[in-house]
Amino acid sequence: MTQFITAVLTSLSSGAIYALMSIALVLVWRSTRVINFAQAGQAVLTTYIGYDLVQKTGSYWIALAGAVISGAIIGAVIDRFFMRPIFKRVKTGPIVMIAPVVATLGLLGIIQGLIGFKWGLTSQSIEAPVSTDGFKVMGTVIAFSRFNLLVLVFVSFAMLLLTLLFQRTNIGLALRASAYSPEIARLSGIKVDTVRTLGWAIAGASGGLAGMLYIPGYFLYPNAMDLLLVFGFVAAVIGGLESLFGAVAGAMILGFSINFATTYISGKLFFPTAFIVLVLVLLVKPAGLFGSKKSRGA
Amino acid sequence: MLKVTQSKKRLVLFIAFGWALLILSNQVGDLKLYQGSFVATYALAITSIILLTGYSGQLSLGHSALMAVGAYAGALSIFNAGLNPIVSLIIAVLAAGIFGLILGVIAARLSGPYLAGTTLALAVSLPTLANQFSILGAEEGIVFDVGPAPARFGEDFSQYKWFFWISSLAALIMVWFIANLLSSRYGRTFKALRDNSIAAELSGINVGRVKVMAFALSSGVAGLSGALLVMLISGVSPSAFPLSLSFALLTGAVVTGLYNLKGVILGGLVLVAIPEIADSLVSRIGGSEGFTTTLPGFLVSALLILAVVFTPNGPGHLIKRKHHKQKVL
Amino acid sequence: MIRNKSMRRASLVSAIVATGAMVLSTLPAQAATPGVTATEIKLGISSPLTGSAGLSYGKVPGAMKAYFNYINANGGVYGRKITLISRDDKYLPTAAATQTTNLILKDNVFALVGALGTATHSKAYKAAALAKNNVPDLFINTGFSGFTDQTKYPTTFMVLPTYAMEAKVIAKAIKDNFAGQASFLIAQDDEFGTDGVAGFKTAGHTFTLAPILYPQGSMTSARAEAALTGLSAVPGKPVVVLFGTTDVTATILKAAEKLALTTKFTWYAGSVGADANTLLALGVKPTTVNGVISASFMPDAKDLTDPYVKQFADINTKYNKGITFDNYVLAAMNSAMLTVQALRAAGKDLTRAGIMSAIEAKGSTFASAGLVPLGYSATSRIGYNGYWVSQLNEKGEGKPYGGKLVIYTTDSGAGAVEVSTFVRPTMPKNGIPTNS
Repeated sequence: MTQFITAVLTSLSSGAIYALMSIALVLVWRSTRVINFAQAGQAVLTTYIGYDLVQKTGSYWIALAGAVISGAIIGAVIDRFFMRPIFKRVKTGPIVMIAPVVATLGLLGIIQGLIGFKWGLTSQSIEAPVSTDGFKVMGTVIAFSRFNLLVLVFVSFAMLLLTLLFQRTNIGLALRASAYSPEIARLSGIKVDTVRTLGWAIAGASGGLAGMLYIPGYFLYPNAMDLLLVFGFVAAVIGGLESLFGAVAGAMILGFSINFATTYISGKLFFPTAFIVLVLVLLVKPAGLFGSKKSRGA
Repeated sequence: MLKVTQSKKRLVLFIAFGWALLILSNQVGDLKLYQGSFVATYALAITSIILLTGYSGQLSLGHSALMAVGAYAGALSIFNAGLNPIVSLIIAVLAAGIFGLILGVIAARLSGPYLAGTTLALAVSLPTLANQFSILGAEEGIVFDVGPAPARFGEDFSQYKWFFWISSLAALIMVWFIANLLSSRYGRTFKALRDNSIAAELSGINVGRVKVMAFALSSGVAGLSGALLVMLISGVSPSAFPLSLSFALLTGAVVTGLYNLKGVILGGLVLVAIPEIADSLVSRIGGSEGFTTTLPGFLVSALLILAVVFTPNGPGHLIKRKHHKQKVL
Repeated sequence: MIRNKSMRRASLVSAIVATGAMVLSTLPAQAATPGVTATEIKLGISSPLTGSAGLSYGKVPGAMKAYFNYINANGGVYGRKITLISRDDKYLPTAAATQTTNLILKDNVFALVGALGTATHSKAYKAAALAKNNVPDLFINTGFSGFTDQTKYPTTFMVLPTYAMEAKVIAKAIKDNFAGQASFLIAQDDEFGTDGVAGFKTAGHTFTLAPILYPQGSMTSARAEAALTGLSAVPGKPVVVLFGTTDVTATILKAAEKLALTTKFTWYAGSVGADANTLLALGVKPTTVNGVISASFMPDAKDLTDPYVKQFADINTKYNKGITFDNYVLAAMNSAMLTVQALRAAGKDLTRAGIMSAIEAKGSTFASAGLVPLGYSATSRIGYNGYWVSQLNEKGEGKPYGGKLVIYTTDSGAGAVEVSTFVRPTMPKNGIPTNS
């Protein structure tokens, strides 16, 4: 029984972590129709900045704020000086879909290189702001700590806030319109380029949040979030790429599947489970669980 | 009349190139032969990507997995079944092709990021399957030994020259075959699909079937390149096909032009040359450990970005723009 | 379609470039012995500098270079300076294969030293045709006992005791000190882990449950928590043996902290994953590290009363600026010292065959920091063949378990584990070997 409870709790924690990344990826997709592979690099970079802030100020919360803000700035800069020129030059053919993917992959490599140059290759660790010891429930210590709870709270909060932004505000409407149909949006007076930069800024900020919530449970080094990128992307696709709720749902499903598979069936299923779950979902719903057919077109 | 001349020209070109490589292989040292083998292998892998993405418009991030299927199939047929190396290469193509067929059926229903995500998950999880079945050798992997060159070539015939001959020949044959295919009716069908799938469907093309066929073909080619790759490192193991390989191949394909096969050799060269250039740069500049080890990756990424920004349609179009007036494609 | 002139041009260009690139290098005249000139000896190492294994082992090449630079500043080896060329293989077998091949073909090294990793090196050895080219493969950084097989690895000399030996010593320690308790093994799922599993079997030790094997890279905190929760149901104070890399040891210990299970188990960290300083740097609490049992064959890097340790620490300060002196640096410099002695023993006329027979003949008498004997002989490629049991404390030091240093020696097979009376050779003056 304890095995089961532990599995459920650790799944919740893993799912929350994947959700951090899948939210950021869905954000970029919804506002710019690009899958941003550099997200992992941006998040690690902002976490390194956060690490420096922790060393200087000793406060995790200041570092968190710093990471989020720098994430937003870096995201905006990348869009303005990097993605925009690419979109201007690449207009037709399947290269339209591929160019941004490939470019963000290149960007990922560059960011990781820069991190290596500046901070070196040894790993660091960031201490969590609240206790990482498990809660005591009826005498036993469970595999869920105050920090895990904090992550879950932040993830839910981010999801709600961002969903409200997209669904209920004018800015959100502008973001969605610019992504879905840039020409028409432009005709209605929306400054598409500016709006898109805003989208990247928001995604970058959420990536900054992701890094600062993930690293305290792990270690910080340039490739620290590579695995998270893969699982975050898979989670986002499972959830349908269209809604933030879907991103979180997809992440939870992935977290639970992987944890239960490795606990009860075999430890070797760690990576294959992701693929199997993804294929099963897409076979039944090719647009993901909460995606809709009309928005599937790239 | 024109068609026959066209493919005849191509055949002559390929044969001539093959002879040139043969003569060349006797002039250069082991290192260049070793690197040349990698160039041939990567060129072949890039061909498979161009076929799938450039010609049929499906973006796959999982080519490393397809190469792995071919590689393991080839290794098993030599090691466990004791078959001739040439037969094993053919088996590699078939096994990967069949796998690609199945995958293509799944993939045909997906588009854009969904396909990308699925192939990404595949690329990450397939190599770890080797840990599941002991017959696949787990982390250590299976030996892929094509054996030494035949005795009649003499004792001094280096193993690396033999690798070069095998990989170049295999690559030449396969690329020639694909080039022929693409300039035929099938190639036009693929292109129609890529440019406008709705229009293609309306003109009677069975979009689903064509997509699947493209996937299967591309996988077969990838499988061959995978088998050749593990020949060069004398064995297949899960770590031979990391995700970064998929990304590197995509880089090569974009840098040399996604839309036609002309630049595949250049793409292969680039993939082999960049780490070399980074290496020599690093030994000249020196620097901290952090700098020297991250520089090659950095250079590849920088090159990729430059290529995408300045020549998204490949350098061939750059040359074209200089000499001709811009024609609407 | 080659109808388009400029397309055809492009294809021609790329073909010409390809062939041109190949011709650009002419065949260099083959040196008599590769990597050796009148003034220089080139050595090569392929090891992880980046990635998660780089976290622990990234320091190895730099430390070796530091020692070699010290020797170069003091006359080198018979007037020749030693250059170490280091290549990053990210702990990936295929990268190791290509990098090792590059070391031979491109860098033309005389010999390889310190090649790291079991899966990595076994693949690299075959891929780079080291046997065929008779390239000496000295003092490899792995304990997989298969490397002593001279039919498969004719040019390889181990230095680390084998994992099988370590397993047998651990088994004895558990039997002597924790006889009544349950015991469990969590090991990396490759030859490194399975070598250990085999060692326990040979020693006659049965674990309470089948060993938990995890593919490298998949031991996440979630998995660690699940595994420990399962084990926590066992009564008493079980012994948990961790046979993995340091980052995994850290993950498991941190999971134990989270579940308040640190005192529930007696922790035994295999030497590969037991560097206390790295554990502390990765966020494991000092109170958790305190009491973890491990094994070592060297003095602890913090024990500056040991003459070898002090000498290497001094060299580190002068020649390896910015790097903290720890057990990895100590072991790397020690291997470098063995390498210099091997080069000297081979004589002024340095050849590949020569250095290998020199180690076979005289290697067992080389001076080194190791507290256990070296087993080189005409028939044996085994390096150190024993361990002493250590216990870590909060300061990151490893002290003899039970307070008294007891050295055990054994083999990788069915031989018994025996207490050894080995006394190591005195360190050459200033750490500069003068042997011949």
